[in-house]
Amino acid sequence: MRASEVQLKTWMIGGLDGDPACHTLLLRALVPVLQAFYRRRMQDRPDDIDDLVQETLIAVHTRRATYDRERLFSGWLFAIARYKMIDHFRRGGRTCPIEGLDDILVAEGFEDACSAQIDVDRLLGGLPAKQAAAIRATRLDGLSTSEAAARAKMGESDVKVSVHRGLKALAARIKGET
Amino acid sequence: MNIDELIEALARDVTPVSRHAVGRRLAGGIVAGGVGTLVLIVWLLGFNPQLHLAVRHYSFWMKWGYTASLGVCAIVATARLARPDSGKLGWLWVMAIPVMSLVAIGVFEMSRVPPAQWLAMWLGQSWRVCSSLVFLLSIPIFGGLLWSFRRLAPSRLRAAGATAGLAAGAWGATLYCLHCPEVSAIFVLTWYTLGIGLAALVGAVVGPRLLRW
Repeated sequence: MRASEVQLKTWMIGGLDGDPACHTLLLRALVPVLQAFYRRRMQDRPDDIDDLVQETLIAVHTRRATYDRERLFSGWLFAIARYKMIDHFRRGGRTCPIEGLDDILVAEGFEDACSAQIDVDRLLGGLPAKQAAAIRATRLDGLSTSEAAARAKMGESDVKVSVHRGLKALAARIKGET
Repeated sequence: MNIDELIEALARDVTPVSRHAVGRRLAGGIVAGGVGTLVLIVWLLGFNPQLHLAVRHYSFWMKWGYTASLGVCAIVATARLARPDSGKLGWLWVMAIPVMSLVAIGVFEMSRVPPAQWLAMWLGQSWRVCSSLVFLLSIPIFGGLLWSFRRLAPSRLRAAGATAGLAAGAWGATLYCLHCPEVSAIFVLTWYTLGIGLAALVGAVVGPRLLRW
C-alpha cells in the first residue's frame, strides 16, 4: 500500500525538524514509489533501476534542505527522480532505445530516395522529350539500346545519339548550376 | 549495499533543517564572494577618491539602482532554480523595467547636451576596461554561488548557471560602482550591461558542467 502525499509530506517535515524516525519512515516509503517511477520509464534495465532508486534516496537525504514546505512533496520528489534519470543517461553516454527505429530509418531512406527522384525528374524535365525518354529508358529503367528503341518506336542509332546529346546537355547544366 | 542498510545509514544523520536554508546558503555564497570582489577592488583598482562627492550626485544612485535591481531579480531567480521543482521564470521580464528606465534617463541626458558630446558621454574615460572589469569582479561572486550550489539541487543546470552568472555580474558591477567614476546613463547601459551579460553567458556555458550533482 502506497503512502499518500499527505503522509509523505508529514514524514518529510518531521525529518526536516530533526526527527530520525520520520526520516526513516519516509525513505522506506519512497522505495516502492521510486521503483514504480523508474520501472515505468526504463523497463529493460532492472539493474539501473536499483542504482537509481538508491541514488535518488541519497539525493532526497542530502538535498532535503531544498524542499519548500509550502509546496507539494511529490512535485519535489519526482523532479529529483527525473533529474537523476536524465543524469544517469547522460553519464552513461548510452543511447536510449527509440521505439520503432526501423520504421524511422525506412522513412528517412524514403525521403532521400524521393528527393533524388525529384532531382532527376527536374533535370530530365529540362531536356527535349525524346532525349529525356531515351535516357530514362537506357540509364534509369535499365533497358538495352534495342529494347529502348523498340519501346520508343525509333531507330537504335537515334536512341544512342539522343542519350549522348542529352547527357552532354545535362552535364553542361549541372556544371552551370554549381 | 542493500537498500535497508542505506536507509539505516542515512537516517543516522538527521539534523534539523531551517525553512530558510536555501536562502541562507545562497546569501553565504554571495557575501563570501562579495568580500573577495571587494578585496580585488581595493587591491587592483582602489576606491573612487571622489566617492564622498559622487554619492551626492544622482548618477551614482542611478548606477546602483540599475545594477542592484538586476542583482535582486537574478538572486530571486537563482533561489528558485536552486530547487529541483523550480517553477516558471516568465516574471524575469520585469528586468526590462530597470533597463528601460536607464534608456529613458540616457535619452533625457543626451537631449540636454549638444550632439557633439554624445560620443564622449558614451565612451567616457574607461569604456575599454569597464566591461572586462565588471566581468572580472563577478568571478569571486560566481565562485561563492558555486559553493552555495554544492548543497542545493538545481534541475535546470543551464538556466541556473545563467542566473547565477547574472547575479554575480550584477553584484560585481554594484561593487565596481565604488571605483568607477563614470556618470552617464548610456555609458552604464552599454558597458556595464555588456560585462553583466558576459558573466551570465559564461554562467550558462559552464552551468551544466559545474552544477551537476
